[in-house]
Amino acid sequence: MDLEKKRKIESIAALVFSTLAAFAGLFWLVFILGDVIIHGIGALKLSLFFNDPVPAGMAGGGLRHALVGQLMTTFFATLIGVPVGVLGGTFLAEYARRTKYARVISVLADIIVSVPSIVIGTFIYALLVRPLGHFSGWAGSVALSLIMIPVVLRTTEDMLSMVPWTLREAAFALGAPYYKVIIQVVYRGAATGILTGILLSIARVAGETAPLMFTSFNNNFFSWDMNRPIASLTVTIFQYAMGPYDDWHQQAWAASFVITVFILILTLLGRFVLKWRFKQ
Amino acid sequence: MTLNIEFSVKDLDFYYNGNVHALKGVSLPIHRNQVTALIGPSGCGKTTLLRCFNRMHDLYPRHRYEGEIIFEDRNILADDVDLIKLRSRIGMVFQKPTPFPMSIAENIAYGLRLKGVRNKGELTGRIEQALKNAALWEEVRNKMNANAFDLSGGQQQRLVIARALAVEPEVLLFDEPTSALDPISTAKIEELVVTLKKHITIIIVTHNMQQAARVSDMTGFMYLGELIEFGSTEKIFTNPDNKQTDDYITGRFG
Repeated sequence: MDLEKKRKIESIAALVFSTLAAFAGLFWLVFILGDVIIHGIGALKLSLFFNDPVPAGMAGGGLRHALVGQLMTTFFATLIGVPVGVLGGTFLAEYARRTKYARVISVLADIIVSVPSIVIGTFIYALLVRPLGHFSGWAGSVALSLIMIPVVLRTTEDMLSMVPWTLREAAFALGAPYYKVIIQVVYRGAATGILTGILLSIARVAGETAPLMFTSFNNNFFSWDMNRPIASLTVTIFQYAMGPYDDWHQQAWAASFVITVFILILTLLGRFVLKWRFKQ
Repeated sequence: MTLNIEFSVKDLDFYYNGNVHALKGVSLPIHRNQVTALIGPSGCGKTTLLRCFNRMHDLYPRHRYEGEIIFEDRNILADDVDLIKLRSRIGMVFQKPTPFPMSIAENIAYGLRLKGVRNKGELTGRIEQALKNAALWEEVRNKMNANAFDLSGGQQQRLVIARALAVEPEVLLFDEPTSALDPISTAKIEELVVTLKKHITIIIVTHNMQQAARVSDMTGFMYLGELIEFGSTEKIFTNPDNKQTDDYITGRFG
């Protein structure tokens, strides 16, 4: 067989196999998404957003408790995670710039990003649930914030590093102290990038289940109280999907759909912000 | 001719990274309300010298000054000098335009706010005045809220000059301010430099010898970290004492 023919066959084989692999991946992706959309929309009722659960086995009831719990847990996680992440990233990119110390923290943050989230959950269980003797919404928020922090920190660090150094020099040359240079000039240059990182980190934690099972646990009743166990869509999906009642299954589908759409919107918003930035 | 001395640089040595000897025993006077040009081939230390006047080197670790720069009877290289105050009195314009990521008006307001100007009316008035002083007002008066990055390179450079002028510095340092600009923008900046010296002292680093000859009153020729010759621009460019200076300005090396 001559060389040219051999090359052609290899080329066709590579094309065929990579196309097959792509379709295999896409198939499951479309299948899962399609399944969630079809079942979810079918089960979606406006009453789900306004009603709390009814006793197990009875028809009706809703997911208001889980929706509110999810939003509260995510909101407080953001409130804790974003300042720590942004300030930490600022420290690494500005004050500790080019030091060995900063590089070590960056690498550690990268490692924590890939730690299974259930490990974070059990860690917070040992730290905030066991000693206090009960599950709580706060523990859930802290667990989620620990997942957010390394993501926000690394994004902030990268975005700040992309702001040209001459811009800082120009601000210094006007007689600005370093903190004003950072807040008023550098943050402005990096704002959209950091915002994208924050949105994507919220999207990342909004779908977490494992860390919440050990921390905020779940609650079948509506509650505002972050000191007590609080419901979340993700854990409720787990509970309802495993349960024996058809009504529960329907609600689990609806909840899956809602949370998927929520994350989709956050992700698209993040992309949109990034695009808008580079158009400028 | 009697001239007031703004700075006197005395036996200045400067080291980067602990031991890179970038300036070697530089001494020269900088005259008030005059334009002093620093010329010389790349790496000769002219920018390094310029950045000593507003202590820009202090942003980086492992630098060392030896010698003195006297400004109002004080050595500004001393450890206890308030750098924030010093830099608000000695402005700087960089090689590439450095507008901040904000509107035209806000760019200028930035320095004013640093100086504590809060009053809206005063801000507006001083922004306008600064833009007029930098010969940019007519071009931007109708788009003060536009993003500063939308301006052309030459306009950005004049905006940066306006920003520096707004805080009313006594000295302005120019680090090759036109090397990234087209000839027309360059001419505008040069014109501006000559106008500005009525009120402030200017030190300009340039690679362009015609530019030094056009705008400056005094010229210093530097080579390998040393100040080879310093004198009136006319003398340096027509009848220098030093052979190296002569070779450089006639284009035989550098």
